[in-house]
Amino acid sequence: MPTLGSFALLLALALSGYNLVAGAIALRQLATGARGRVSPERLAETARRAGIGSFIAVTAAAFALVWAAFTNDFSVAYILHHSNRALPTSYKFAALWSGQEGSLLLWAWLLTGYGFLLRLRHKVDVKLTAYASTILAGIQVFFLLLLNFAAPPFSLVSGTIPQDGFGLNPLLQYPEMVIHPPMLYLGYFGFSVPFAFALGALMMRYPGEKWIHITRRWTMVTWLFLTCGIFLGAHWAYSVLGWGGYWGWDPVENASLMPWLTGTAFLHSVMMQEKRGMMKHWNVWLIFSTFALSILGTLLTRSGLVSSVHAFAQSSIGSWFWAFLVIVLAVCLFTYVLQRDHLKSEHKLESLVSRESSFLFNNLVLLAACFTILWGTLFPVISEYVQGNKVTVGPPFYNRVAVPIGLFLLFLTGIGPLLAWRSSSFKSIRKNFILPVVAAFVTAIVLIATGMRPWQDSGAFYSLVAWSLAAMVTVAVGSEFLRGARVIQRHTGQNLFASTIQLTRRNTRRYGGYIVHFGVVVIFIGLAGSAFNQSKEQELNYKQSMTMGPYRIECLDYSQDSNPNYDTEYALLDVYRSGKKITQLAPEKRFYQASQTTSTIVANHSTLAWDLYVIYAGKDPDNGQPIIKVFLNPLVAWIWIGVIIVVLGTFVALIPNMSAALAASRSRVQVAEAPVLAATKGGN
Amino acid sequence: MSTITCALLLIGIFAYVFWPEHRVEAQTQKTRLDFLRERKDVIYDNLRDLNFEYRAGKYPEEDYQAQRAALENEAAETIAEIELLERQGLTHSPKLSS
Repeated sequence: MPTLGSFALLLALALSGYNLVAGAIALRQLATGARGRVSPERLAETARRAGIGSFIAVTAAAFALVWAAFTNDFSVAYILHHSNRALPTSYKFAALWSGQEGSLLLWAWLLTGYGFLLRLRHKVDVKLTAYASTILAGIQVFFLLLLNFAAPPFSLVSGTIPQDGFGLNPLLQYPEMVIHPPMLYLGYFGFSVPFAFALGALMMRYPGEKWIHITRRWTMVTWLFLTCGIFLGAHWAYSVLGWGGYWGWDPVENASLMPWLTGTAFLHSVMMQEKRGMMKHWNVWLIFSTFALSILGTLLTRSGLVSSVHAFAQSSIGSWFWAFLVIVLAVCLFTYVLQRDHLKSEHKLESLVSRESSFLFNNLVLLAACFTILWGTLFPVISEYVQGNKVTVGPPFYNRVAVPIGLFLLFLTGIGPLLAWRSSSFKSIRKNFILPVVAAFVTAIVLIATGMRPWQDSGAFYSLVAWSLAAMVTVAVGSEFLRGARVIQRHTGQNLFASTIQLTRRNTRRYGGYIVHFGVVVIFIGLAGSAFNQSKEQELNYKQSMTMGPYRIECLDYSQDSNPNYDTEYALLDVYRSGKKITQLAPEKRFYQASQTTSTIVANHSTLAWDLYVIYAGKDPDNGQPIIKVFLNPLVAWIWIGVIIVVLGTFVALIPNMSAALAASRSRVQVAEAPVLAATKGGN
Repeated sequence: MSTITCALLLIGIFAYVFWPEHRVEAQTQKTRLDFLRERKDVIYDNLRDLNFEYRAGKYPEEDYQAQRAALENEAAETIAEIELLERQGLTHSPKLSS
């Protein structure tokens, strides 16, 4: 199997190289009208097929590595270092991306997989897809060069082959880690498709915005994968790292957030290009930046440039990524300079109070957040280079900047949909804003009346603002649904619920987007709860108890267990509320024999109001007493509920619109076509 | 066994890539007319959205009339250019204005 894997990777490199070179020659011949011995169309077709073939070859290589993990083939150095015989089956899959070489192979597989789908669907626009396919082949060549020469996953062990492997990193032995990295990589590399289309469209001076229409679903799916990847990572950190939080502004976390921010900005601003032919320069650079930030994220994760609890696979391949990043930016800049006159806007911004300006503000704020995070992430590197000593910026820096930015974004989420395209009059603003603004003020007053004191500390102030804005956005989103559904109801006579469903199906993108916005609101409600987190650490022996908020925790027992993969020591704790036992928790401390390392398994009792988050911190080395650490984290469950709503909203947005309803058809004739046709016939 | 699998993979992919294919898709250049037709559809979509939002009570009458007039003018200009190009028979013109 190692022979097949190595051969398949070499074959994939040759096929991707052929796709790049033959594809570029064919496109050049088609552009200049030159003809070789083989027609350019035929040459382009072989290039496309070579791209498809590269996916088959990389699939064979990935299969060979997974096979080696499942058959405990410790002659392969990668399997020796990242697996062992006692490792459960699902984690043997995870071994594929737990190290440098394996994760690069997974990336190459996902990248060629995206390319495979793109090349199969080439009939949507043969020429534009040929450009995108050639650009993707260039990216594939880079990753396959890495896999063949810098980080080969099928290197063999020299000398005697050990009987067992060194095992998988214990931090990775958690259910989310089986799906979190692939989700994240699908997100990172998914952006290479809209990037390839945008660069291709610019290279060929593609007229119109159809490339955006073609890549719309790619971009949304990619954004969804990245969103899921980020939140699965947050959930993993919350459940495994045992510090009571879900986001620590770690460089690797930041690396995934930066392309998400620019990708989110791109998803919003392309609507302006589609609808009004505006912001073309901006959009092109947004997608270029998103792709470049994905590469930068990879560089940060892999190079050891910045230290992180998530950087599981550090090595010296950073220089390869730097070179690739420079090449990508140079190609983008060169193409942009050459073709920038093609990106002339069809309309100008007519008013600062319009849907367009709200999109623009949204983009500026997202980019400001991205720049802040980039600066904070790279600051240790920059300070070391300039001053000679590494200065790290911690969560207080990020929170001070990101929290106000996040709240302003939440505000824009509420007002954007209420503004009209082109310009909004004062009368229109008053008409649409009165209810949401009243909702915000009523929420703030109720919160203060129930005991919140925003003037006492900044955490409480920000939470009050977040919950008030959440009420405003919820009312704004709700009123959009309600008003639209009433129009449908008047035309069809259906009940309000059926009308809402029909409304959503008429324009899935818009109303799916509103559902996503509501999901973001719910996430913010959960995030704002963190201002009121409490924690307590205490020695807790048999039959002793401690209280945390409304809970009383009583120690029932301490015990030990063992299985072939790890030894475990755990506490059995009964949890009481109002004198009644509500659950039993068993926080663990595990010791993995193969890797000789320990890990913490958190026990969490989650409700809509609080998470009772309990860690068994081991025994006090001085007196041998067991130590229990308890956190009471308010509203955390709402973060995960919000993510589920975001996922559902994105799915709705991905569904094609149903054929226009009767009312819409009538309005098209009455409002759009009739006067327009009359105007043209009238010699306008 | 591995050698045979490698050889089969190589031959299979080589045959797939270079097998003579006579029904190759033509790479046509999009024309200004294609672009204008797409643009017309987008303007009609914008008009439909505007009309729907007006019926939903989102815009006052004067805002609606002003926006509708602007979009109708834009549509009229686009349709006029489409008709001009169609009359001139430039449906396959490779010349594009950006």
